[in-house]
Amino acid sequence: MSAVVAKVRKPLIEGYKTYHDITEDICSPTEKVPNIWWIVGMVASLSLLAFGGFCLLYTIWFGIGTWNLNRTIGWGWDITNFVWWIGIGHAGTLISAILLLFRQKWRTGVNRAAEAMTIFAVICAAMFPGIHTGRPWFDWFMFPYPNTRGPLWVNFNSPLLWDLFAISTYFTVSLLFWYTGLVPDLATLRDRSTGMRKKIYNFFSFGWTGAAKHWQRWESLSLILAGLATPLVLSVHTIVSFDFATSVIPGWHTTIFPPYFVAGAIFSGFAMVLTLMLITRKVLKLEEYITLEHIESMNKIILLTGTIVGVAYLTELFIAWYSGYVYEQFAFYNRALGPYWWSYFAMMSCNVLSPQFFWFKKIRRSIVWTFVLSIVVNIGMWFERFVIIATTLARDYLPSSWSYYSPTWVEVGVYILTFGLFMTLFLIFCRVAPVIAVAEVKSILKSSGDQYVGPNAKEHHHDDHHQDETIAAKVDDVAEDTTYSSSSGVSAETDTQTETEEVVVAPPSAKDDLKKVEGIGPKIEGLLNDAGIYTWRQLANTKVEFIKEVLDKAGPRYRIHDPGTWPKQAEMAADGLWDELKKWQDELDGGK
Amino acid sequence: MNNNFTFTGSQRTLTFALMAIGLLALLFGVFTSPEGTHQARVWSNILHNTAFFMGIAFISTFLIACKISAYSGWHTNFKRILEAFSMFLPIGLLLVLIIVAGLWTGSHHLYHWAADGITDPNSANYDSIIDGKSKLLNPIMYTVGTLGIIGLWTFFAFKFRSLSVSEDKDDHGVGKHEGSSYWRSSKVWAAIFLPVGGFLSPFVILWLIMSIDSHWYSTMFFWYTSASWLVTAVAFTILFIIYLKSLGHLQQVSDEHLHDLGKYLFGFSVFWTYLWFSQFMLIWYANVGEETIYFHTRTRQFPVLFYGNLIMNFALPFLILVANSTKRMYGIMTFMAVLLIFGHWIDFFQMIKPGVYEGLHHHSHDHGDGHGSIIDLDGKPVNVSKYQKDGEPVLVQNDHGHDHKDGKTHNHDHDHGDGKAHNHDHGDGHHHAGDGHDHEGKDAHGHDHGAHDAHGKDKGHDHGHGEHAAHGHDDGHHGGGHGDHGAGGFEMGYHLPGFIEIGMFLGFLGLFLYVVFTALSRASLIPVNDTYHDESTHHHV
Amino acid sequence: MAKDIIFGLYNDEEHLMAAVDKANEAGLDIWNVYTPFPVHGLDPKLGLSESRLHIAGFVFGMMGTLTAFLGMTWIFTRDWPIIFGGKPYWSVPAFIPITFELTVLFASIGMVVVFYTVCGLGPGVTNPVLDDRITDDKFCLAFDANGLSDSELDKYRDFLNGTRHIAEVHLKSI
Repeated sequence: MSAVVAKVRKPLIEGYKTYHDITEDICSPTEKVPNIWWIVGMVASLSLLAFGGFCLLYTIWFGIGTWNLNRTIGWGWDITNFVWWIGIGHAGTLISAILLLFRQKWRTGVNRAAEAMTIFAVICAAMFPGIHTGRPWFDWFMFPYPNTRGPLWVNFNSPLLWDLFAISTYFTVSLLFWYTGLVPDLATLRDRSTGMRKKIYNFFSFGWTGAAKHWQRWESLSLILAGLATPLVLSVHTIVSFDFATSVIPGWHTTIFPPYFVAGAIFSGFAMVLTLMLITRKVLKLEEYITLEHIESMNKIILLTGTIVGVAYLTELFIAWYSGYVYEQFAFYNRALGPYWWSYFAMMSCNVLSPQFFWFKKIRRSIVWTFVLSIVVNIGMWFERFVIIATTLARDYLPSSWSYYSPTWVEVGVYILTFGLFMTLFLIFCRVAPVIAVAEVKSILKSSGDQYVGPNAKEHHHDDHHQDETIAAKVDDVAEDTTYSSSSGVSAETDTQTETEEVVVAPPSAKDDLKKVEGIGPKIEGLLNDAGIYTWRQLANTKVEFIKEVLDKAGPRYRIHDPGTWPKQAEMAADGLWDELKKWQDELDGGK
Repeated sequence: MNNNFTFTGSQRTLTFALMAIGLLALLFGVFTSPEGTHQARVWSNILHNTAFFMGIAFISTFLIACKISAYSGWHTNFKRILEAFSMFLPIGLLLVLIIVAGLWTGSHHLYHWAADGITDPNSANYDSIIDGKSKLLNPIMYTVGTLGIIGLWTFFAFKFRSLSVSEDKDDHGVGKHEGSSYWRSSKVWAAIFLPVGGFLSPFVILWLIMSIDSHWYSTMFFWYTSASWLVTAVAFTILFIIYLKSLGHLQQVSDEHLHDLGKYLFGFSVFWTYLWFSQFMLIWYANVGEETIYFHTRTRQFPVLFYGNLIMNFALPFLILVANSTKRMYGIMTFMAVLLIFGHWIDFFQMIKPGVYEGLHHHSHDHGDGHGSIIDLDGKPVNVSKYQKDGEPVLVQNDHGHDHKDGKTHNHDHDHGDGKAHNHDHGDGHHHAGDGHDHEGKDAHGHDHGAHDAHGKDKGHDHGHGEHAAHGHDDGHHGGGHGDHGAGGFEMGYHLPGFIEIGMFLGFLGLFLYVVFTALSRASLIPVNDTYHDESTHHHV
Repeated sequence: MAKDIIFGLYNDEEHLMAAVDKANEAGLDIWNVYTPFPVHGLDPKLGLSESRLHIAGFVFGMMGTLTAFLGMTWIFTRDWPIIFGGKPYWSVPAFIPITFELTVLFASIGMVVVFYTVCGLGPGVTNPVLDDRITDDKFCLAFDANGLSDSELDKYRDFLNGTRHIAEVHLKSI
């Protein structure tokens, strides 16, 4: 089932990956001791969390009087931050759901991490209205239940209550979607691990086996959840926009709010995904899975959504003039030239002008530019919400109550808390689950791997078949000398089997680390595994010619390796002659 | 492989027959037009169909640009259909030219802002709100704007088309990694067109449609209109695929393509509904009189259009297309496509006709105040008027606030249809009783005219009441005053499409089909040199 | 309860597909197929009927719709009517957002629960794993070998060994 792919498509997986390479590259970061950057990041995040946590407790202990909110400006940094985080959360669902429906293959590289960010961002967001109530221990009053006060119900006509439903639903559905996608990958981790770790992953992988019927249902579920999540993600920011359109100032609203809030949310969400993934791909060495192609695609989305937001801003301004409605006109005059003109200026330049740089291909494909602009965009989107909230509230219908607002250190601290929380959760996530959807990346390998598409692809798929065939034939040859055998068959006594005991051949968990052999890296190890070589003993018994053939077939970059000494090295490893091996390897210098 | 479409004699006959029907309907409309209406019915039909079909051509161009920019491959095998739709743009330009000509010659009075003396403070007709918009709403801007922008779009449509067709004739570059030169330059043009189309379409929509209700404004309206075009363009694409397949063409367009187009039809219908609801909800909720009046008119006087619009464009497509299997059934897909084309034609009908109707019957528009109007459970505003006929304000917001508190109001709300409910609001509440179907309402029109002509001159009369009055902007609003006009009444061609409307629609459809068939016959149907051709052929396989 | 399974492992989904075709031609009864990722085009070959999860989704979704809409209607027209913002008791437009959210919520939770239930999956569930590499890069074609005589077993073994590109053949009791 070789996919038909247009020539102009660029590969999305680089480095001639095999299925095993994908598993290895993506899963191994969770299995190794964390590197220094992770530890530095964790310490930094926990420090932010600690300071922010203090500010949070301070707020709860003394009440929100510690904030600078006043009678006129009742919403300030808290609600700004709330909307900002919710917006960031939108990218995950967009990438997984909408891009799934539109068959954009590049989503597979980033969807897992983006969905995780969605969940963490919603957690950060939900905190703000929670503490803004002033008495968070009564937050459960927000949910409708027949209570002892009447029974007096919550106000189902209020957009603020719709928001409660929207955020709860969004969080739940995102979590279900994310976790269901994660289950097969957790099973991969389970099958790679031993001992306690295996037990833990066994619990969380829900007993996934990879059976065809399960995959079928899993795909069906993903597709329907995507179908449900698409209007859901629209509804969430739509309802957030209703909060502002109906609540901030009576008699003022613009009807374009819903779609442009959604576009803005996607805009900021992609920016955040880029900021984090640019770091993640570097630290976890996933550049071959999150390629420049992915970055460019996301930058195009940023350009698109940034321009949509720009169209909306200008439409608002234009219609304010056109309406002839003085309140509408004043609202926008106040934004651009009122006391908070600087935030309007920041919003316009960061959101509308800065993404225009992405018209240039060079900038779209530049990591540094992307990183800087992704941060600029998020600053701009924060200001957008600030403009809508604080600027609008500062000038209501009663000039005597006009006011100005700037935050206290406590408010800033609570904002910092969310950064600490978000980063901490993300860093933990990087350690315990694959940051890239392993199974989904595998499923696009044949249509997006660089050995199949793009300028370095092998010309005809025919060759692949041919190559596979010869390798398979060789495997049979090799097998003669090893415990691996496809023809030694099942002649063993079937009646003596005991529970879950392998009869015929050694279980693959007996697999050795072939990388101990100098000259063999993870990729070549994968190639050898594909050829049926898993143990040092097997490698020792393999003819050099065969290994050469395997390397030759794998493409030009492997052809340069000389496997001449590998069987001998492997024999030493298999015999446990480590000291000799070490000594010899030093002499060999690179296995050549 | 039958890769060339021939525009056969029978198809020609069909399109000409449709055009003839349209012409007959037009002539019939012209000769049966009542005195003093300035042929409003025929003119509004021309505007309606022009906006509808020109918009389909525009949105098809936009879709082509989206497809190119997104590296979308799967619909390559039927991209000629979208290209053929886009070829209607120059015809759309000509049609708009007709409307422009009518505007300059004063042949139609579709646009209230073009009325005599409307921006002249000394005129009886003066309208300060419209005067404020006159930098945009004037014949010169209208002409330059609409023709200029549509002309620009036409240029892009031809650019995409010629690049696509030239690529077909030149297989140099097929199968290259960097794509053919046509592919590369179309990418550049598409990237330019997306912002051009996105930024400029609001103005065209504003001039052609929104300015009919010259006081009303909604930032969402442009998106909403575009979504309506989008659904229609997809529906027409489906129809053409099914038709061309039935003729033995487009063998490489499979059920899988149809299925995905069905998903588009479903998805865009839901998207349209989303925009519809967002716009309605915000206006309903915020209850700013200047905006509410738009839906007040439609729910009260045009309920069949208002609810029919939702049923045809949301309820039916949602329920029918939500199932997977229906998207592969040619019969159901044909039915849905036809339904949605008609449904969105009705959508444009309800965008245009009520405003024209209002203009026709209340040209000297009353100056009321819509603030404080309330919409009841069906979204129908009640309690709108602030005036008795003698022009005295009798009610400010507090009054109905009081009504609600006394606990009786709800009875009023629930049975306002019986004609009694509104008596507490204003003296001439009987007009509300009609609920849009009341033929007696006609009497009311005549009755009101005199009164409002008087009001019209009295532009300052409502200063001093309501919270906004101090700003002096209220004077021009025809806001809630509509309540006074005897909302009831039914007039064929405005409240529902009549034979003239359907006939003219068929005429425009014939013209559209003629253009599309001609464009289809001028290039091979399957673009075999397109870089995505193979991908599209193997869609899903 | 031990159950004997004989299975072959392949290195590529195309090899597996060819083997499945061959098994179908030979009239062998495939017990199950395991893959590291969803392989398209496999379902019809295995005779798997289309998933009916969407029906569950629809039913649960409708439950959500009705719960929300009827609930709010009852609360605001019967149980405790209150006027908010001058709007009528029964304000349909204002009920739509929550109705939509609950529809999605019910449909999603319902479908996920149904999915895990019918698949027999869930927290802590341990299903027998034929080979640890199936979740990595091996494609597994498995036959039920329970209570087979040696000659019958040989038939399966020979079949698997006879398929092109076969990598390994195993017999396992689970």
